[in-house]
Amino acid sequence: MNVAAALLEAPLIQSIDDDQALVSAAMGGRPDAFGTLVERYDRAVYHLAYRTLRDQEEARDVAQEAFFKAYRSLRTFRPGSKFSTWIFAIAYHACCDRLARRKRYSNDELPERADPGAGPEQQAIAGDEARRLRAAIEALPEKYRTVITLYHLQGRQYDEIAEVLGIPMGTVKTHLFRAKEQLRRLLAQGAAGVEQ
Amino acid sequence: MKSYDSDDELERALFALELEEPPADLRASILTATIYRPPLPVKPWEVWALGAACALLVWLLVAVSQGAAAPAMAALTGYLSEGLASFAQPATFFWIAVGGGAVVWISQLNLTLAPGAQQAQRR
Repeated sequence: MNVAAALLEAPLIQSIDDDQALVSAAMGGRPDAFGTLVERYDRAVYHLAYRTLRDQEEARDVAQEAFFKAYRSLRTFRPGSKFSTWIFAIAYHACCDRLARRKRYSNDELPERADPGAGPEQQAIAGDEARRLRAAIEALPEKYRTVITLYHLQGRQYDEIAEVLGIPMGTVKTHLFRAKEQLRRLLAQGAAGVEQ
Repeated sequence: MKSYDSDDELERALFALELEEPPADLRASILTATIYRPPLPVKPWEVWALGAACALLVWLLVAVSQGAAAPAMAALTGYLSEGLASFAQPATFFWIAVGGGAVVWISQLNLTLAPGAQQAQRR
């Protein structure tokens, strides 16, 4: 395909709102359609991986790995399902694998933050509410972090989160409730620490 | 500093929180690994076929160099004639048909589990 033809076709792909149509186009030999899907979801996938793993380099690797796996197995994508759910699930499984590997290679349990109060407190000194909130989210256990990330930060619905994480919808709601409880406690601890 | 005592306040703050910026070259690296990835110069089956042909050639060369060309050729023609003769038997056709049918059937199966199902199984 020459450059002129590519330029003519690019806006067409950009204008397709439906992810399913983009997947079909990519399967039909239009790699630029997959490029559009990457543009739509790379940030969200990276963000989910970063929140789950708390490591920028690993999050970046997971995002790349997830899209690579998705691209290679486009033919296994079930018609009617959501691309976002699929790519999030692939990324989440990659995160779980990395967490399991970390656990295997370290003597201890998964490295949850040792001092949950310290992060929010330090951020509070900087006076930045958003940073303080982010630090508090990072201090949550992995399952709560992921649910909060998908629901509040990425606006996913309960059923989609349940599918991504492979857990019942009731468990998603319970995780969310407990995550918010812990968050409130962490933020209160941070606020109290600064006031003293 | 807010203490987020009420649920609504915390919800609003969480929904208002923006996603962090990913690394600048993330998209480029993903695209390089997917749609701009150069195709492999040869297909896997081509490698296998070439390897088998090379092995056969080496075997023949070794046989010839050891002065055993005649028995080697006899063995080769013997294998070929046996192979061809076996095709004349109905049982061979039957088993080839069974094997082909199995291949077609397996190729129609979708053996890839949905990611959610994989996660559920793992747990």
